[in-house]
Amino acid sequence: MASLKLKNIHKRFGSVEVLHDINLEIKEGEFVVLVGPSGCGKSTTLRLIAGLEDITEGEVIINHNVVNLLEPQHRNIAMVFQNYALYPHKNVRENIIFGLKMAKVSRDIMDARLEKVAKMLELQDFLDRKPAQLSGGQRQRVAMGRAIVRDADVFLFDEPLSNLDAKLRHQMRSEIKRIHRAVQTTTLYVTHDQVEAMTMGDRIVVMKEGVIEQQGTPMEIYLKPSNTFVATFIGSPSMNLMDAKLFPEHVEIEGQRIHFKEKIQRPDFLLPKEGLPIKLGIRPDFFLDENFASRGGSLAKINYAKIDLIEPLGFDKELDVQVGTQSLKVRLDLRTTAKEGDTINLCFDMERAHFFDIKTDKNLFIHPPIRPQA
Amino acid sequence: MDISVEQRESRLGWKLIAPSIGVIGLLIIYPILYNVYLSFFDVKLTGANLFVGFANYERLLKDTAYYSSLFTTVLYLFGTVLGTTVVGLFVALLMNLHFPFRNVARTVILLPYFAPVISVVFGWQFIFDPVNGIYNHVVVEMLHLSGTRHNLIGDPKTALLVVILFDIWKHFPISYLLIISKLQSINRDQYEAAAMDGCGPIGRFFHITLPEISFVLGTLVILRLMWNWNKFDEVFLLAPNVETLPIFTYYTAFTGIIDQGMAASISVINFLILSGLIIFYVKKILKW
Repeated sequence: MASLKLKNIHKRFGSVEVLHDINLEIKEGEFVVLVGPSGCGKSTTLRLIAGLEDITEGEVIINHNVVNLLEPQHRNIAMVFQNYALYPHKNVRENIIFGLKMAKVSRDIMDARLEKVAKMLELQDFLDRKPAQLSGGQRQRVAMGRAIVRDADVFLFDEPLSNLDAKLRHQMRSEIKRIHRAVQTTTLYVTHDQVEAMTMGDRIVVMKEGVIEQQGTPMEIYLKPSNTFVATFIGSPSMNLMDAKLFPEHVEIEGQRIHFKEKIQRPDFLLPKEGLPIKLGIRPDFFLDENFASRGGSLAKINYAKIDLIEPLGFDKELDVQVGTQSLKVRLDLRTTAKEGDTINLCFDMERAHFFDIKTDKNLFIHPPIRPQA
Repeated sequence: MDISVEQRESRLGWKLIAPSIGVIGLLIIYPILYNVYLSFFDVKLTGANLFVGFANYERLLKDTAYYSSLFTTVLYLFGTVLGTTVVGLFVALLMNLHFPFRNVARTVILLPYFAPVISVVFGWQFIFDPVNGIYNHVVVEMLHLSGTRHNLIGDPKTALLVVILFDIWKHFPISYLLIISKLQSINRDQYEAAAMDGCGPIGRFFHITLPEISFVLGTLVILRLMWNWNKFDEVFLLAPNVETLPIFTYYTAFTGIIDQGMAASISVINFLILSGLIIFYVKKILKW
């Protein structure tokens, strides 16, 4: 086990800078997920740590040692590749123990570890097969086995589940979590799938265009997104962002005033008289049908939402509604009887709403503008 | 008359390939059969051939010149096949690296393969010319590595070496071309995975590159064996004193004491060996 630290990392390909000042610390045994859209630099970050790309500026530190100049084979890192990168000419057994052979581990230890890993991943029956004779899920497991068997300091996963079908992906997700719990190796896991990020990580790091936008536990990221990008990227369906105006005592959306109640966190920064234009963010799951919401409390209300479309999902329904000129996605439970074309009054908990600066896209409660003089 | 679509297609197929079969039959199959026929005769240029059974073969198998020629051929094949494959592999690995003007280099390397045989043969003969050649000038006059000038092509002892070098130089581009096309299709992930597994550059060559290109290497070796087994033009033009089997056959059939019956029997044996190689290639390498 080892700690991993990225210090002021920059990466340029020619004149294009793809990583801008990345700083990240991963504690011993921690499972950190690096998530972001395609091309955000997450895979590049992983490859820098692995030593498969040169670092333009900054330091990669494993266990307090700077490893910038070490070749990949000397970093004691194991990596699972997106398309597995198994050796096609070697069978499953040879694929798994290849790293141990290179490290000149004794035959007895090699056999013992192989047996343990094969059992853990249920690969005992396939040890003599070539990769071409395996299914996608089995290949995935061999790739995992190759990483686990080496007892490396750090595991790197580069979108390992993206080539699997939905059911298998779900299964492997729990499998990887289970294995991590068993071996407790420091892990950095790259994905573009926010569900994987939410379900697997001890901590999530959200990246966009070569910059870390936010890092924190899955719940912190979900409940306190620091800007509109994180707010809309994490969570499915995406958070609604409505044009609104913020006043000291209320928010105005499409001419409707929603007053802050007593216990609500209010803006403690200066607001212009005509109101501060903001994006009001509310997750689709946080809406309630007024008919089934308990009265009172801190519930705020948006009236006269016109229903464009209803998609029944089983235990709840997803609605596309129109409030004035703005469209919202709303998820309500099955009891809602309103039909397409009806209007509906929607309740939500103001404490779960977010206020984003319209210019900087930042969460005003996390990054407030100038506060009034005390 | 009712015939099925399959039958109609099959008839069309036969009609389409009939001209090729005719030409191949006339130019290849007939001469082969006629050659087999001749190998059982004492061939007279007047046309009054005399049937001798296996006498030509018996005489041939007792002829030391034949074994000497066979030995020369084996050396020639060993040198050329090994040489073109190793040089082709080395150049392919080199050309697979990234460096400026790589595309130009990749193209220039192919030139020997496309140059007409006769013109490059004259070039090589000039290089090794004992009086005016560059080789002797450099070795004797400039570097003083030897006190006397050598006629490398004229001397039968060294001529074989020159012929082998010429073949390697002229034909390594085809090995290079086949190998590099395979190299480019190897997934980079495999090399990266091997590096992560603790494998250095040499280990990566033996564990990834070599298994990936082994099929191409096998094909190259067997194809070059087949081609060079019958190679006549280059050898004869460059150094007619190097008596590989095709040259030996030619001398037996058309020069000195003309013995076309025996030449035919040499050809039949050559043909059988070549057929064996082709069957091996098709069964074991192409796996048809």
